[in-house]
Amino acid sequence: MGPEVVIYTFILLVILVLLGVHIGISLGVSSVVGVWLAYGDVEIALSILGSTAYEAIRSDALAVIPLFVLMGEVLSRAGAASDLYRLCDSALKKLPGRLAAATVVGNAAFAAVSGVSIASAATFSRIAYPEMRKLGYDKSYALGVVAGSACLGMLIPPSVLLIIWAILTEGSVGALFIAGIGPGLLLAGAFILYNVVAVLLKPSLAPNAPISAEAAAELRTDDKLSSASTFGGLGVIALIVLVLGGIWGGIFTPTEAAGFGALGGIAIGFLKGMSFRQFLTAVIDAGRTAAPIMFLLIAGSMYARLLAVSGGTGMINEFFDSSGLSPFTILIVMTIIWLLMGMIIDSISIILLTVPIFVPLAVAAGVPELAFAIYGILIIEAGLLTPPVGLLVYTVKGTVPDKTVTLGEAFRGAVPYWIIILIVAVMILTFPAIATWLPSQTF
Amino acid sequence: MISVKRVAEVIHILSAFWVLVIAGIIFVDVMGRNLFNAPFLGAVEIIKNSVVSLTFLQLPLAIFSGGMLRTTLLYGAMPQGVQKILRTLAGLLGFLFFAGVAYSSWGPFLEAVAINEYEGEGALRVPTYPVRLLVVLTSIFAAIVYFYLMILDWTGRLGEEHGVDLAPMKGGH
Repeated sequence: MGPEVVIYTFILLVILVLLGVHIGISLGVSSVVGVWLAYGDVEIALSILGSTAYEAIRSDALAVIPLFVLMGEVLSRAGAASDLYRLCDSALKKLPGRLAAATVVGNAAFAAVSGVSIASAATFSRIAYPEMRKLGYDKSYALGVVAGSACLGMLIPPSVLLIIWAILTEGSVGALFIAGIGPGLLLAGAFILYNVVAVLLKPSLAPNAPISAEAAAELRTDDKLSSASTFGGLGVIALIVLVLGGIWGGIFTPTEAAGFGALGGIAIGFLKGMSFRQFLTAVIDAGRTAAPIMFLLIAGSMYARLLAVSGGTGMINEFFDSSGLSPFTILIVMTIIWLLMGMIIDSISIILLTVPIFVPLAVAAGVPELAFAIYGILIIEAGLLTPPVGLLVYTVKGTVPDKTVTLGEAFRGAVPYWIIILIVAVMILTFPAIATWLPSQTF
Repeated sequence: MISVKRVAEVIHILSAFWVLVIAGIIFVDVMGRNLFNAPFLGAVEIIKNSVVSLTFLQLPLAIFSGGMLRTTLLYGAMPQGVQKILRTLAGLLGFLFFAGVAYSSWGPFLEAVAINEYEGEGALRVPTYPVRLLVVLTSIFAAIVYFYLMILDWTGRLGEEHGVDLAPMKGGH
């Protein structure tokens, strides 16, 4: 059978994923079936399993995933999220809607080290949301900023999504990390600008006055920034600077930066008084997070191999070439597919399924690769906010310690962030230099 | 009898700590190279093989505790009986997948032993068969875990520790 195998296996893949089969297993099984259909030989089909399992992740560059995940877990256990939040809060005292701005900055920094947006949304739902409510912030406004700012983390390196994207496209992890910095800062700036403007237009969103005597008392005791929090917050920021600066300055490869990041995270954790027990839990949980991601990479490589050996990639390119669609239309189609997929599956799986097909198309359409990667990650993250099933919004609703919150309120709050992400994504395509300038200085 | 869960936990913990060892090796390598002009020989080979090894050592517990990513969009909307059938389908495919990985990794392992397959250069030549064998063994174990979960499911012993929410749920993954 020829390249049309790709169509059959893709249908099989979608069915398996929808039936709730583990996504990695779905990818692997579809790939074996695809190779079997293409060659008509079971042995060849099965051999793709063994060879990919051994070879796909045998690379020292991939050590970045377990190491950065470990750094994130240890810092989470040590209470880095709440340190960052308090530090940002006290640094932004004068700003209208300062707690919202502190959520954006704190979440961005925390997500940078934790690398998983769902995790940081869950963490900040517990830390930032109650604080904002104590000061009388509007519910939707407070929910929205938690969900929206969690998306930032995927852009600000070291992010797992950036690593996986770089590996799938055989690009440089370091260059993609550095490419994420400009757009990440731009997006954070846009979020804060929205927060401030919204509050200036409608001060009742963030009255900044304790809602009750009880809340006032709690706030007074919380208000003083403890030296442990300052140390923790500054330590995390120093670690981010060390990791990113080291990569950008050419001192570290990403793997080396990840090694130092993990050790630095452990040092900060212990200096902050993390117990040995918490440390053990962090190390074990890091494995539980990292292993499924690595497995998805193996399974994703099987699928990429199928696309290559069956001539599927070529067929898809030809299809779009002969369809007479303009590059602009092709970009729109890809964007819609990403947004739709964001409602069903997680970001990593979306990247594994679509990137091997989309990147060649985008390159053919003349989009610079680094800019397209950042664009793609922005759109995929926006998908996690899309009503009515955005995963991040569900996470926030499910974890805020406030049972009166409705899903509608959470989505209403998240929509402005969704729009801002899309605007920034379009800006990146229009002015690719936002993403490509910084890496072009070193790489 | 040693329980499946216990084995999965022990190999998981061992490999989780191996990540710390990798971080240490990187530290010694970078410091040694920059300060004493003495890099850690073979650091790259060790890290490369470690990445494969620890991923496979950590998979069984990830499978056992419901850490593998999936979507529950349709699953969550189904009645309990259908959910059970879907779980069984997922388990069966997981079992077959890892059995397939083990089966197709066995030949290359035997070959690596027979021809003394090495990689790396000069003084630091690392044989490839240990990691190949590890992939075979952990894949067999991963297949067993999938099978074991199906047995637990059909004997009504599947619970929250396996990451299965038996009540219908909305959205999420």
